[in-house]
Amino acid sequence: MGESQAIGILVRRVARQVRRRRAEHHALRGAFWGAAAAAALLVFKSLLGVVAVAAGGALVAAGALAGVLWGLARRVDAADAARLADRAFALDDRVATALEWAARPDRTPLVGLLVADTIARVEALEPRQIVRRVVPVEGRWLPVPALVALVLALAPAIPMPSGLPDFLPSGDPEQKEERTASTMLEEQSRPLAKDPAKRPSLEERDFAARAGAGGATTAGDLSAIFKDTALSGQRPDFNSFLKKGDERLKLLEQVDRLPDLQSDFTSTQYKVVFRKSKSLLSGLSPDISPKKLRELLEEMERLGRKGGNWSGDASEGMEALEGGQTDRALEAMQRALDKMRAMDERQRAGKNLRGVRESERGRGRGRGDGTGAEDMDFGEGEGLLPGKGRSLMPKGEATSRLRANPFDVGVEGESRRGRKDGYDTNLTGRAGSMPSRLQYLGVIGQYRKMMEDAITREQIPRDYHGQIKDYFQALDER
Amino acid sequence: MSEEARVQAFVTAFGALRAEVEKVIVGHREIITHVLTALFAGGHVLLEGVPGLGKTLLIKTLAEGLELSFSRIQFTPDLMPADIIGTNIIIEDADGRKHFQFQHGPIFAHILLADEINRATPKTQSALLEGMQEGSVTVGGASRPLPAPFFVLATQNPIEMEGTYPLPEAQLDRFLFKLRVRYPAIDELNAIIDRTTQARHVTVCRVMSGPTVLSFRELIREVPIASHVRDFASTIVMATQPQWEQAPDVARRFVRYGASPRGAQALVLGAKVRALAEGRYNVSVEDIKVLAAPALRHRVILNFEGEAEGVDADTLIGQVVEAAEAVTVQGKEPFLR
Repeated sequence: MGESQAIGILVRRVARQVRRRRAEHHALRGAFWGAAAAAALLVFKSLLGVVAVAAGGALVAAGALAGVLWGLARRVDAADAARLADRAFALDDRVATALEWAARPDRTPLVGLLVADTIARVEALEPRQIVRRVVPVEGRWLPVPALVALVLALAPAIPMPSGLPDFLPSGDPEQKEERTASTMLEEQSRPLAKDPAKRPSLEERDFAARAGAGGATTAGDLSAIFKDTALSGQRPDFNSFLKKGDERLKLLEQVDRLPDLQSDFTSTQYKVVFRKSKSLLSGLSPDISPKKLRELLEEMERLGRKGGNWSGDASEGMEALEGGQTDRALEAMQRALDKMRAMDERQRAGKNLRGVRESERGRGRGRGDGTGAEDMDFGEGEGLLPGKGRSLMPKGEATSRLRANPFDVGVEGESRRGRKDGYDTNLTGRAGSMPSRLQYLGVIGQYRKMMEDAITREQIPRDYHGQIKDYFQALDER
Repeated sequence: MSEEARVQAFVTAFGALRAEVEKVIVGHREIITHVLTALFAGGHVLLEGVPGLGKTLLIKTLAEGLELSFSRIQFTPDLMPADIIGTNIIIEDADGRKHFQFQHGPIFAHILLADEINRATPKTQSALLEGMQEGSVTVGGASRPLPAPFFVLATQNPIEMEGTYPLPEAQLDRFLFKLRVRYPAIDELNAIIDRTTQARHVTVCRVMSGPTVLSFRELIREVPIASHVRDFASTIVMATQPQWEQAPDVARRFVRYGASPRGAQALVLGAKVRALAEGRYNVSVEDIKVLAAPALRHRVILNFEGEAEGVDADTLIGQVVEAAEAVTVQGKEPFLR
């Protein structure tokens, strides 16, 4: 394409810059990994000798070289280079468009104008470096492995522990002997160092040796302070632990025997008063003044009015205190305390981990009215609504429809025997045929579908979706 | 006339028309440019703004600058479709025979100003649908073509919600651009005061005829667009759709329905006009970015959460454009790929 030669030159120039930047980019990455490998290799300098230093240097160079080659070898897309040129020289995508459309068979007359305009602009450009340098993460961290490798190369070789495979060739017995000697010397100077080749199991460990009784500790051996003395002679008894654990697990299953964790016994008002009174009666606080005793009785009377049956005793105690009869007042307080204790015991009785719900049930049974919601044994599709099922009232519950016109409706009912006595009621007259007699199960499906549609249309904030679905799930469970 | 001369004629005519409108309208240069862009792209414009900002005056001035017929319909709740399209009336001829004759409605004009379009009922609003999309209306089973070019400029007031009917999504999609007319700056306000309170009569010259507009519309479609620019436009439109797997979080969270393919067409056509009006022979990424908000703001339907949070469609589209830039090649360094 002769007319777009200038565009081609620009694109090739940019592509060369891209390749150069890529080479730099990947060279840094390669150098990083090469340096890391070199550092790892130089750790074994004691085994490899001078070879390790040379190999380390070669690894760094090879990594960088591989990066350069990789960066140069990768093909640069002409469209990418054109876009880069457009962006760098503010050409408003002229180069990319001209490059793409110049070769298309369906080019419009305006494409010719575009190409000519682009060429004119490209020729007026000053060649410059437009591809910015991108330093990879590895490039920023390159000094770290490079320095480590350098230090390892210059520093004395790190002595290797025994038991490692021998990297040296077997034909160098002199060097091998020298290394063995140095290792032995090292072992003598560090008699307590662990031997990695020997890893005894837990059962085989000699705890007595760790105790220090027969250990070869010498004066000035700081490692002795780390040796435990109390527990070292004991072996862990896992069987007894498991046995106790089993018993505790069994206890957990007996929920009725667990303490009531939901109410803190010491924090109730009753218990506070109880404790104060008890300390007074047992003589723990002999210096209590009549004023404080009066305040205590007043508090007991107040609590008694809120639901206890000891307010009379507390009042009697206050009267006795006013009359100067302290003994009588203390006796009345004792009676009130007994009643408080009894009430507290009643409240705590029968509670288990389900807490309030069980106590509520207990109270419901205690009253004997049989109106607890869970005690009702309604059939499927029946509920507490008037005229739609069984009611405890002989004539059913009043409804607004009944009040609207009392003459054209009626309620008839008959007694029903079951777990709880009740009445089956039904509306008669015109109201009996009203649409509200639809079966619950008949409409709940429609409502659920409407709910799902509404959620799908996202008429409802997303956060409420879960609550709505939970509500319908709860209806299903009922 | 050579292609280069045609392009030069377009650039000159575009500038001249804008200058004529600016004789009357102070400021709002961007709005005027977008209105002219829609005119040459062959689309319709919905102008939204509070009363008194010169929406109606802008359209009337534009109509004066073009040698085209102009009609105005003031939309009211009792306006009927027949009031817009026209109706068949019984005519008695000289022989005493009666026959139906079609009485043309105000829609039969080149430039139609639908003032306060959201005051009419949806039924009446829909009367414009066929005309806006097909360039013809059907009355009594007969299809009647509208004059070309047919250009609808509608206005609506965003603050008076009482007694208004928000435009249905299908109707909104027919508008190429939705433009928001904002308050003028203080120096512009001063110029408005000077210009409108003094005894000075401004004459707007007619600078363009209907056939010229149509020929420019043909020219616009010849503007080439690079594949990466077209991909960018498509990605923006796709990114407004919450179902798209690469849609940004803001679209997933606040958008109920994203822009339609018509949105992508509007974006690219508008970008072509903008490019040519600037004397450029190709569409750039910048053209797409500039026109994203006017072309898409009325096509993105917010969900309940978006409405409740008071999400602004322009802000949302700005974030969508950024996300689309990151997804496409625009946001990537070439040598890292």
